Amino acid sequence: MACDGAWAIIQVATPLDAEDQSLVTLAVASQDTAAYGELIRRHQSQVRNFLRKLAGGSTEDADDLAQECFLHAWDKLQTYSGRGSFIGWLLKVAYTTFLQSKRKSKRYSEVLNEVGYVAEQQSRSYTQDADEVSDLDKLLAVLTEEERAIMVMSYACGLSHREIGDATGLPVGTVKSIIFRGKEKIRTNFDIKDHKHG
Amino acid sequence: MTSKIINMAEKLKDAEDRLLESMFAAEPIANDGFSQRIVTRIRRRIWVRRLALPAAMLVGGLVAFKPAMQLVTVSSTLLGVMPREFLEIPASVLPQVESATFGMPLIPTIVLSAMVVVAGILGTRLLNE
Repeated sequence: MACDGAWAIIQVATPLDAEDQSLVTLAVASQDTAAYGELIRRHQSQVRNFLRKLAGGSTEDADDLAQECFLHAWDKLQTYSGRGSFIGWLLKVAYTTFLQSKRKSKRYSEVLNEVGYVAEQQSRSYTQDADEVSDLDKLLAVLTEEERAIMVMSYACGLSHREIGDATGLPVGTVKSIIFRGKEKIRTNFDIKDHKHG
Repeated sequence: MTSKIINMAEKLKDAEDRLLESMFAAEPIANDGFSQRIVTRIRRRIWVRRLALPAAMLVGGLVAFKPAMQLVTVSSTLLGVMPREFLEIPASVLPQVESATFGMPLIPTIVLSAMVVVAGILGTRLLNE
């Protein structure tokens, strides 16, 4: 970026963030499931899109993960401090849920392998099913899991580098270099000027 | 108060960034009962959690009732062996009790045990809340 040395950090409280905050307060203080339902309704699309792009499997699997994510978020709702946007916090929970499910399925495959069972591929790999993959799928296939998560958070969800750092637990500088590396990979592998929407 | 931090450097996006944004952009996904399904699951979980502790205490109480009563009976018998003056509650402490002994009859023992159990349940619920 041209202006890396000239960061101007401005704090802006958007009306949407303020509404989210009051809904969170309501949900935590009185276990108000209706308020939480409203929060889900507002953010489900972004969370489901994030997980669909990240998991790369069937939409049903991604939606199951999204459900798990919202259940975890309900359990941890009192830990949301109000610092940063609620969607940023939700994507952090979604990313953690995704990693946990990945670890679980890896352990499950290891157990199956140990007993000599050849399991079917549970989730579609980005490098397979060439007929159905969009340009975006091909593009995401060249990225590592971490790069994919960060690129999706940045370009699909519009999170700031700081919010991505909060969500992934990485320093802002690392987030920037991962995005830079991701862009480099995409540039090397694709002519992104000629694309179809994914 | 919720705040959003905007890095001005991030705002200066080049053409490549805008292109990537358009590639990553996705159509909004319709709710179609998704939020309602989660809320229903959460409400069910809240009820299960509310009922789990009293139910466990009830089952535990039922299982432990017979051995506990046997224990009380044995304790009463053993207390009868102890010197009478040691067991007597001094009238100065509880004037309304003339010479109560620890060798209580069965019904008052049950009532006392029930009170202890109820106090335990209420105390645990209070702690839980």
